[in-house]
Amino acid sequence: MGGAPMTLLDVRDLDAGYGDLQVLYGVDLDVGEGEYVAIVGPNGAGKSTAMKTVVGLATHMGGAIEFDGTDIAGLEPQEIIARGVGYVPQTDNVFPALTVEENLAIGGYLLGGPPEERLDAVIEQFPMLGDRLDTRAGNLSGGQQQMLAMARALIPDPPLLLLDEPSAGLAPDLVEDMFDHIDEVNDRGVTVVIVEQNAKTALRRCDRGYVLAQGENRYADDGDALLADPEVRRQFLGG
Amino acid sequence: MALPLAQEIIFGLVIGSYIALGAIGFTLVYGLVNMINFAHGEFVTIGAYVGFLSIQIAGLPLPVALVVTFFGTAVIGWAIARVTFEPMNDAGAVPLLLMSIGLGLVLRNLIRLVAGAGGRDVQVGVATYRFEDLGFFVTSQQLFIVGVTLLVVLVLHLFLSRTMLGIAMRATAGNEDLALVSGIDTRRVRNVVWLAAAGLAGVAGILLAVAQEASATVGFGQLLLMITAAILGGAGSPYGAVAGSYLLGIGIAVSVAFLPAGVTAFGSTMAFVVLILVLLVRPGGLVNAEVRTT
Repeated sequence: MGGAPMTLLDVRDLDAGYGDLQVLYGVDLDVGEGEYVAIVGPNGAGKSTAMKTVVGLATHMGGAIEFDGTDIAGLEPQEIIARGVGYVPQTDNVFPALTVEENLAIGGYLLGGPPEERLDAVIEQFPMLGDRLDTRAGNLSGGQQQMLAMARALIPDPPLLLLDEPSAGLAPDLVEDMFDHIDEVNDRGVTVVIVEQNAKTALRRCDRGYVLAQGENRYADDGDALLADPEVRRQFLGG
Repeated sequence: MALPLAQEIIFGLVIGSYIALGAIGFTLVYGLVNMINFAHGEFVTIGAYVGFLSIQIAGLPLPVALVVTFFGTAVIGWAIARVTFEPMNDAGAVPLLLMSIGLGLVLRNLIRLVAGAGGRDVQVGVATYRFEDLGFFVTSQQLFIVGVTLLVVLVLHLFLSRTMLGIAMRATAGNEDLALVSGIDTRRVRNVVWLAAAGLAGVAGILLAVAQEASATVGFGQLLLMITAAILGGAGSPYGAVAGSYLLGIGIAVSVAFLPAGVTAFGSTMAFVVLILVLLVRPGGLVNAEVRTT
């Protein structure tokens, strides 16, 4: 490795929340190009809020959010997505009444429709979807919906993919499968940030991790280092 | 002697067509702007007067006047929504509802002030085709009304299922937050919805003006029927609204023909009865929730 990678997402001293309710207090995140970063922490730590603020869904109250060198704080979600940020919410992340193919088409909305080669690329990554193009997304299983949600976000070929609790609600055997898919996305050069309740698995898989609690940064280190840190283990990983 | 059933069904299809053109827009606004627009009837009225002006004053042939009315009412309706509903879009359903009730009242009286209290006739040549053996007749006007509506439904279907904007519209109706983070400009989608809803209401208006007359309350008189049809079909679903409209139209025509005069004399009371029954028995409408947004 030739030194630290270029910073792709730089969050500094971020205050954010919903309406008048502040959830985040001075959060810092630094994500390098090609990295795989996990944000973990207890319920209510503000992990999802941090992600939602980056894509413009939560209220930005202060601090900087720079993506690829430009300030995106306070922009509309569709403007942020248009700059190359892919985002998969934790729940309700597919359009249930639309077919798989239409869901993927929506992923290419900003391009005026999904380019053929991008459709082929995501179907190659998630072959299960190719067999179900005409199926209503609402009729897919939870795991399949999660794949579709990721595929939809990957259609525009975003440099950065944000995943909010991708393993939530999945059966245990599907969780590892989901993480394999995330590894593969990252191996293909996409920078990945995930928020995970499933902290041990996430830290084992990622390059670097952030531990948030009560809306503030607590620890930041390589995933393995956090897993090995007795304080982190005791406070956040259940010993 | 009572008219045969075929005749009543023709009347029902005509009534259903007026309702459908209004109900589609009403239900699209419900699904995508998340509001119940009580001023939707006034869009129909505006269409009736735009139709009156284009046929009686400008002397345009009916098909041309129809296109002019669609675009004219679309722009007027969009502009009205732009200055009234759009600035308070995030206020929630109840303030929007109240705004629409007030707006409808103001528009109705404004139109009465400008156009006068009386109705305006719109003269269009009509041919009648009689089928003596089968015992019913149909006029060129009735065929035109039903034909235009079916064409509108077909174009709407192609738009919603084949175009990127149409798919984005269905996506936004299903989950607005996800639509936003998929890159869809939901404000643009709302603009298109207002244009389409007002334009289609305008088409209903010109057809009503031709078949009856243009008056300040012609649209308001249709409002309850449009709402009933939309709810009957599952609020938010344009296909459901079309089905609900024809069901309601035929229901009204047949009940007027076969029920005792005392029962049907109340006219749109029948629509209320249907509305109450639907809300009690199947509040989600005829179409189940899963296909609601398609």
